[in-house]
Amino acid sequence: MKVVMQPIEMVARFTEEGLPRPVKFKVQFEGDSVVIVIDRILLRKEEKIAGNPMLVFRCQSVINNLLRIFELKYELNTCKWFLYKI
Amino acid sequence: MKRRIIFHIDVNSAYLSWEAAYRLQQGESLDIRTIPAVIGGDPQTRHGIVLAKSIPTKKYDIKTGETLYSALSKCPNLLIVRPNYLLFRQCSEALRDVLKEYSPTIQQFSIDEYFLDYTAMENLFGEPLQAAHTIKERVKKELGFTVNIGISTNKLLAKISSDFQKPDKVHTLFPEEIPTKMWPLPVEDLFLVGSATTRKLHARNIHTIGELAGTDPLYLRSFLKSHGLLIWNYAHGRENSPVRPGAIPIKGIGNSTTTSFDVEDLHEAHLVLLSLVETMCTRLRHKGYLAQLVAVSFRTNEFLNYSHQRKLSFSTDSTNEIWEIACQLLDELWQGQPLRHLGVRVGELCQNDFIQPAFFVRDRVKERKIDRAIDEIRERFGAQAIIRSSYLHSGLKPIAGGVITEEEYPMMTSIL
Repeated sequence: MKVVMQPIEMVARFTEEGLPRPVKFKVQFEGDSVVIVIDRILLRKEEKIAGNPMLVFRCQSVINNLLRIFELKYELNTCKWFLYKI
Repeated sequence: MKRRIIFHIDVNSAYLSWEAAYRLQQGESLDIRTIPAVIGGDPQTRHGIVLAKSIPTKKYDIKTGETLYSALSKCPNLLIVRPNYLLFRQCSEALRDVLKEYSPTIQQFSIDEYFLDYTAMENLFGEPLQAAHTIKERVKKELGFTVNIGISTNKLLAKISSDFQKPDKVHTLFPEEIPTKMWPLPVEDLFLVGSATTRKLHARNIHTIGELAGTDPLYLRSFLKSHGLLIWNYAHGRENSPVRPGAIPIKGIGNSTTTSFDVEDLHEAHLVLLSLVETMCTRLRHKGYLAQLVAVSFRTNEFLNYSHQRKLSFSTDSTNEIWEIACQLLDELWQGQPLRHLGVRVGELCQNDFIQPAFFVRDRVKERKIDRAIDEIRERFGAQAIIRSSYLHSGLKPIAGGVITEEEYPMMTSIL
């Protein structure tokens, strides 16, 4: 996986406890916008690097008939979603 | 009673590490700790001084506090990063949250330093050394920056030991280790031995902390007064202040700025003073204090410092009133030399729960109202939302000094 850290448009579900669950997102890829639906969330962890809390999701999806694993980040202070690594 | 165990936690090149950790989190591939980089000033205008530097800058002999201009002349491809004080405070608070899990008694000593009272916590988290390593590793893993931890029986020794070798280390300096670990150090490494004291001690052939400890305290008092006895005790590792969880009570509030040009005009000097008084008085009112003493100070282009102060017969927190007094003081003191640095300070604070009016001062009800209105506007819409028209086309900043205008930012202190 390579770090890209690209801001993305996200559709997410929030549980009653306030935990977000990413559903699908739109990402700019070579000038086109691509919608990727998340098939599975493999792992969720919280990081607090530099005192800035972020939720990290490791997810998998089938993109162009390939099973890809990627990581998403949700920055709690700004409510922004990022495609962190793919 | 068991002997006290105090930790001193110090972030290694704090501003730079925090910026580096934040950038890595934001997906940057380059760790600015691994290249010559400094925090401070403005990268575009190249004004300002070095606040923190990365370890690779050592090769270029860049010192903390030197101007960006001289740092750039030593290393032309130096990376300059503007300080982000909100990030620094956020990092400092995250560190405090981690430390809080290890002891109920912690004290923030500055933005990047904490004292932690580990006395009698062994049963919970193990031996002090072991706990210090746990804390150090946790901070590195969770927050992404490294710390030095000094362990001893009082705050002074803990602080000195955290400075031994950097980065990412744990050191101890127990009283029995003083002769071997502390006494060989140069005397200026001792807390509260600054440049002036160092000069006086060197002139009397006292170069190490051990030599200071071996000197007759009465002799030290003869030329350093009570400070001589204090540092003599410090040289023996004697210091017993508690770890204070709360804030240290404020004795005065001040503000100062170095101007980017020499101030030679009285009107301009008054405007610079006003921009300082604005920030200072906002803080004064925010803290709920009234001032009974006003002082101004300035530095000329020949680096001579002057100061002048006045005790008031009344107490006030009004921006206009304090500014007028500051201007009077400046007029009395200043003989027209070009000024590089201007400062203003208020002291002898008292609570503003009730105000004793005086006969011979103007009615302040209206002024207090407008001050409050301005404070509220600035709090809601930013410091620049409302400014005085006298600054229009003046080229001067309407609000000067301070790191974060709205909130409190812990600064250095000499009180342990």
